[in-house]
Amino acid sequence: MSTETSESEFSNYGLYTVIDNLELFLPHTEIKIERMGPNVFSYVRNDSESDLVKKIIPVKSDQLTIEISPIRPLNYPAKRTSYVYLELETPVFLSENSAATIFARCPIEIGVFLIHDGHKDSLDCFTCDPTNSRFALYGVPDSGTLCKYAPSEIVESYEDSIPFVNAVLEINLQNQLDDGRSISKIIFPISDNSVYYKNSKAIIDSIEAVLKKKLTLQIFDVSKKSIQTDWTLSPSYERELIDMGVD
Amino acid sequence: MVLDFLQSLSEIELVGGLTLLSLLIGGIIMAVGIILAKTVRLLFTKYYAPKLSQDTAKNFGKLIYFGIIIISFLVFTSSTGVDLSGLLVAGGIFGIVIGFATQSVVSNLISGVFLMVEKPARQGDSIELPSLNISGTLLDIGTFSVRIRLFDGTIVRVPNESIFTSTIRSLTSTQVRRSECLVGIAYKEDIDAAISVIKKEIRKTMSFVLTLPKPEFRIKELADSGVNIEVLVWHPREDWGEVSPKLLKVVKKALDDNGIEIPFPQRVIWDAKK
Repeated sequence: MSTETSESEFSNYGLYTVIDNLELFLPHTEIKIERMGPNVFSYVRNDSESDLVKKIIPVKSDQLTIEISPIRPLNYPAKRTSYVYLELETPVFLSENSAATIFARCPIEIGVFLIHDGHKDSLDCFTCDPTNSRFALYGVPDSGTLCKYAPSEIVESYEDSIPFVNAVLEINLQNQLDDGRSISKIIFPISDNSVYYKNSKAIIDSIEAVLKKKLTLQIFDVSKKSIQTDWTLSPSYERELIDMGVD
Repeated sequence: MVLDFLQSLSEIELVGGLTLLSLLIGGIIMAVGIILAKTVRLLFTKYYAPKLSQDTAKNFGKLIYFGIIIISFLVFTSSTGVDLSGLLVAGGIFGIVIGFATQSVVSNLISGVFLMVEKPARQGDSIELPSLNISGTLLDIGTFSVRIRLFDGTIVRVPNESIFTSTIRSLTSTQVRRSECLVGIAYKEDIDAAISVIKKEIRKTMSFVLTLPKPEFRIKELADSGVNIEVLVWHPREDWGEVSPKLLKVVKKALDDNGIEIPFPQRVIWDAKK
């Protein structure tokens, strides 16, 4: 998505209780939940590629509670990897033995969770930016790592995410080498990083990226760092696929 | 009474000192051996096999089973006092005859052992055997043959020897694969413009095509009717079906939508009289 979308046009992340029907508007995506019977609701999602997802949801009570939240960008178009490849649109130059903290955008997907008896069950997931949800290979074809790829813009703060398209994560960069280096891409496993939301904004746990020397090798060591925030923690969506059409 | 019965069995001699009683005891040893082998294999399959790879677990299971059976047989022969030396002498001559007759069986057996040791492909891998014109998913490497499920859903059994001596192309040993297609554009068209529109259409519609390495375009040939461009794209190994069969369609759509001519075969004929 090239242009930033206005927040007010769209629904927010969060909990929604449906008595009769509910309509949610997200970028290029529309979700409709309607009551079909005393304890049955229908869920319909329509996206920009004219794909229609329909589900029937039987419930125990006479109302339905769902949560719409940002999730890790690992499910669309298919779950193939847990790595993310962020290509910084503007490389960061770190002189010898220096450090810097940047905020960068990282893609997200949207998860829809059914809430019942204190559980959050994964109901649906999708992306509001399908044309930019692509894979890339880090390394050579015979031994490289398959990653979800995204060009990443450096922003000023956690408030600068594009609603429903990306989140912001803090990256603590450190150069322990004896010469200056430009950092233009960061590859890391995102499966341990939690996602948080507030209204229509999202953030992701920080990462620490250290350029250092290990024996004779110069390595770029990336690790996760949990953040303390009052934003709401998103549930995890990823799960194993069961055969026979069960997902 | 039972003792009397056993006594009577021990007095009945069958051949070369082998009595009916010793044969009965031997039978019991073999039966216990088989039950033990099955039980141990079952326990192994339940508790240890899940920690190993599928084919290693299967091979270990077979090794345990047949190992216990062979040990039981050796106990059986020693307990009954059967002298196998005569059998070995006769077997020497007989073995030559059998050896010639079962040459391919033994060859398959040995090839199977080498395949299990070398592991050119694992259970569940997609493989291609170009010399045998076989492509499919490897189901099982057995004692004498390999079972492969072809992509049309049928299962084919290939003797181990054929697999061992064939070129094996593994389609799933790396995380990514490449697919290609060839398309021709008319000589009058701008090659860079054609490449640009194809690139955009692939980026827009083919979600499994990798952004990096980038799709590659090679001018393959200045052919009779047009310029042939080869399009090469990388994708996750599992998603060959989502990319390769659709690539040419996407390329054609990109060219059609932008009015770029894909030439039919044509020939310019000069009239010598004019």
